Amino acid sequence: MKLEILKEIIKKKENKSEFAIVTKLSTGESEIFIDKKPLSKNFDKYTDQIENFYKSKKNGVIDNTDVFIETYIRPIKVIIVGAVHIAQYLVDYAKSLNFEISIIDPRGYFASEQRFPNMNIINKWPNEAFKEIETNSNTALIALTHDPKIDDPALQHALKKKFYYIGALGSKKTHENRCQRLRDSGFSEDDIKLIHGPIGIKLGGKSAPEIALSIISQLVWETYKK
Amino acid sequence: MKNSFDEKILEEANDWIKTNQKVVLATVIQTWGSSPRQVGSRMIVNEKGDFSGSVSGGCVESAVVRECIGIIKDNKPFKKIEFKVSNESAWEVGLACGGEIAVYLEQIN
Repeated sequence: MKLEILKEIIKKKENKSEFAIVTKLSTGESEIFIDKKPLSKNFDKYTDQIENFYKSKKNGVIDNTDVFIETYIRPIKVIIVGAVHIAQYLVDYAKSLNFEISIIDPRGYFASEQRFPNMNIINKWPNEAFKEIETNSNTALIALTHDPKIDDPALQHALKKKFYYIGALGSKKTHENRCQRLRDSGFSEDDIKLIHGPIGIKLGGKSAPEIALSIISQLVWETYKK
Repeated sequence: MKNSFDEKILEEANDWIKTNQKVVLATVIQTWGSSPRQVGSRMIVNEKGDFSGSVSGGCVESAVVRECIGIIKDNKPFKKIEFKVSNESAWEVGLACGGEIAVYLEQIN
């Protein structure tokens, strides 16, 4: 692989774009495939097959050819509300698991660069913050403040936008109260049931990294469940 | 749903190159039967045999490292290698799981 292609791939990944790398195994030549853009002469006769791999997000060698395709998809977006202690460990796990994290917390002391170096931190109330983040049914929300003023608007946004994973920290009692507030705001039981509360799978741990592990495990589980 | 299957090996390759190391990229391009790592799994190897990432569960990495050093020495641009199930002889390199994999080695230049 040419160094210039390697650098281009890294740049494309940083920009969160989706693409594929195609390699002719018999010559070692490779190039970057971008949907709807023409390929060079080396690869243009395989365009249909390459598009099929790209659309089904698969890697592999095209049958009866010497062309290998590797697709790159955008990482899943995970929004953490509450720049709390547990969030610091979630950020560590998310890095190796390749989730793209944004942290929302209107409280300046929490959402500081010192506590979360090189992170996308939005130091605003959720309703304002969500204007800056594009979200859809491939987005996940982890609400960690257990303060209704901060968590509730974020949970409401996530339910309306049908996030695939919604979790909220807090005891059973805290969660019951939260559910009641959502009912009062007009959300149905079916909606409310989509919230994982208390958040995380039961691993038994009580420390911040252990709770972060239980949350991230549930998130991975839900990601691959569907 | 799928998350992006990406272990940041290419970024690491770029870091190695910045420090003037010669880098071979090894990629799992095909698998048959039960294989430890999926297609697209990667490792990188430098001229000294330092490596990062994986193409199996530790079963064939040492052989991949040797092959990579070989193509740097011979200045070959690429090579395809295949690994099959290992037999009973204790030190033979192979896949204990019974699968087969094809790994594509290419120098970054």
